[in-house]
Amino acid sequence: MAARIIRKIVPAGRAGTAQYSTGVRKVTLIPGHGIGPEITVAVQKIFEAAKVPIEWDEVDVTAVRGPDGKFGIPQRAIDSVNENKIGLKGPLMTPVGKGYRSLNLALRKEFDLYANVRPCKSLDGIKTLYDNVDVVTIRENTEGEYSGIEHEIVDGVVQSIKLITEEASKRVAQFAFQFARDNKRKKVTAVHKANIMRMSDGLFLRCCRDLATQYPDVKFEERYLDTVCLNMVQDPSKFDVLVMPNLYGDIMSDMCSGLVGGLGLTPSGNIGKNGALFESVHGTAPDIAGKDMANPTALLLSAIMMLRHLQLNEHADKVQNACYEVLREGKSLTGDLGGTGKCSEYTNAIISKLN
Amino acid sequence: MAVRLLSKIKLLPELRGAAYVSSAAAPAELSDFEVQHKTPVIRKQKLIPVAQYGGRHAVTMLPGGGIGPECMGYVRDIFKYIGAPVDFELVDIDPNVDNDDDVQYAITTIKRNGVGLKGNIETKSEAAYVTSRNVALRNELDMYAYVLNCKSYPGVSTRHKDIDVVIIRQNTEGEYAMLEHESVRGVIESMKVVTASNSERVARFAFEFAKRNGRKKVTTVHKANIMKLSDGLFLETSRRLAEEYPEIEHNDMIIDNCCMQLVARPHQFDVMLMTNLYGSIVSNVVCGLLGGAGLLSGRNYGDHYAVFEPGTRNTGTAIAGKNIANPIAMINASVDMLEHLGHHFHADLIRRAVNKTINVDKVLTPDVGGTASSSEVVNNIMGNIGRC
Repeated sequence: MAARIIRKIVPAGRAGTAQYSTGVRKVTLIPGHGIGPEITVAVQKIFEAAKVPIEWDEVDVTAVRGPDGKFGIPQRAIDSVNENKIGLKGPLMTPVGKGYRSLNLALRKEFDLYANVRPCKSLDGIKTLYDNVDVVTIRENTEGEYSGIEHEIVDGVVQSIKLITEEASKRVAQFAFQFARDNKRKKVTAVHKANIMRMSDGLFLRCCRDLATQYPDVKFEERYLDTVCLNMVQDPSKFDVLVMPNLYGDIMSDMCSGLVGGLGLTPSGNIGKNGALFESVHGTAPDIAGKDMANPTALLLSAIMMLRHLQLNEHADKVQNACYEVLREGKSLTGDLGGTGKCSEYTNAIISKLN
Repeated sequence: MAVRLLSKIKLLPELRGAAYVSSAAAPAELSDFEVQHKTPVIRKQKLIPVAQYGGRHAVTMLPGGGIGPECMGYVRDIFKYIGAPVDFELVDIDPNVDNDDDVQYAITTIKRNGVGLKGNIETKSEAAYVTSRNVALRNELDMYAYVLNCKSYPGVSTRHKDIDVVIIRQNTEGEYAMLEHESVRGVIESMKVVTASNSERVARFAFEFAKRNGRKKVTTVHKANIMKLSDGLFLETSRRLAEEYPEIEHNDMIIDNCCMQLVARPHQFDVMLMTNLYGSIVSNVVCGLLGGAGLLSGRNYGDHYAVFEPGTRNTGTAIAGKNIANPIAMINASVDMLEHLGHHFHADLIRRAVNKTINVDKVLTPDVGGTASSSEVVNNIMGNIGRC
């Protein structure tokens, strides 16, 4: 209990508190299910070869039955997450059935993750119909259309409530502008539908406008959701950083990752008050699990994002350049990218490029 | 005595409606009206346009704002050139006024005429109690289905070729219910309403459309994994109706996956059915894939009224008055309207001319990669009428 009081008094810095004097950072690692374990092993090997000062604290988040009868994350995982404040997560499968709370949701509540960041950048060597895409979608992660408040008022009439609060909108707008400034991005676009949802999206828009005045070095514009969709599929270079409420963010981020080659190549980071969690957003792919056919690129790029968040930029650049070069060469690509290489071959190719 | 008893029975109120109390032959005294409406007949739901004098139709024209007025001018020019039997009744809606009188008048004229042609109406007021005028129009006329026929034009260069998708979107409820309130300061709730009756109507519309037009597959787009009750109801309704049409394949897809598939492989889709907001997103994505907001036209259908407009409902204020707006969307909308009214000869004339202008002559406005002005495009179309 004393530890908890002390933890509250001593403010947790942005880089987290679990740091040894040698500068090695401790990170919670959640391998996940399906291809999760293989790709996490691949990332660990690459980081080891690149001599990244990270110590992995592997935890299992398979649901266990708590004292109240409901399934939830084991306490060991929660403690690890609270201590390290940074996590890397593979794909999770929530078992279907009563009593299983969604593990993703539980993690989100534990860390209090409020912003989801997904940078979508065209990769050299992966040919899609769209070139030169460089968009970052920042999505509000806690409320909006996914508040889960639904009722059947009368037989045959269902209402679902979309909740927008000033606090959450301000928080995510602040994060977006700060992100733009830190990463030297030029423009932030607020995506909304305030012509129809006047009060809710109107509030979101007002919060964004307010914060724009505090960051005069970053250009701010506001666009309707339909216009953004229309322009994004014609000319993605028109957009830089997009900030939006939950549902639009979900759809836009998936659409943007479709432009660069799919979920197997897109990193994703969730930033919270209490830490940050970086993850791969693809599925568990149970059909290729254990066959050394998985593509670790998404998890690797997320891990690189994590390094940048921890201010370990030289290590991040090193690993990133190695990864991009292997993709550019196109010799050891895995099956989903059109190649015939195995996961281990791909990993070794990246390790060899590190030297 | 039997006669007296019988006459008393006839006077009983319950029996007054009954036609026969005795076994005597029924009197053949039903009027034509009663024969039509009281004898059981299976009536087909068909939109019957109201014909006026001499086979000409009256159509309400709502230019709206932005590029609406100039495009409506082009439509009038073309109609005058070919002598189309349509008279336009123009209703201007002032965007700066807060009251609803203009909109009510427009609705009355559409109810009278049955058919409308409209641009996008601006609602300048940002006050929360003022409903969007376009939404008010659709809800009042109960036009519950919006159909967007997306077919690639070979003459426009796009990344994807030969797309042929039909988007059918629920037009009156869903996220556009416009029911919002501030429960606590700084917390706003916005309601999305999904009803079983509207979902069923639009799903049935979609399947009937697919059947009538020889389409093979209907895809329902939803987010029922998160919004379990609302989108769940929509999905369940379309699944239930799919069983009544076994010759049409039905599958469903989550909206984010759908958007991803649309930008990568749009050819897997045929007819797409969805609620209001997802319809807006998907129709803009598909229009973007096809070359922009200036080419396609959409049709609002209700049980009694139909209104035609440019597909993506953009006002285009930035390019208004500069003679660079793409008039094709509005012209396509007017062609749809002619077909709906049954004037197939005139509709065909214009459609073939438009196709020739885009695919063969390649006279296009800047938004689709050409260099011509709007008036040049329209002149080219008028030149092609009757010659292809």
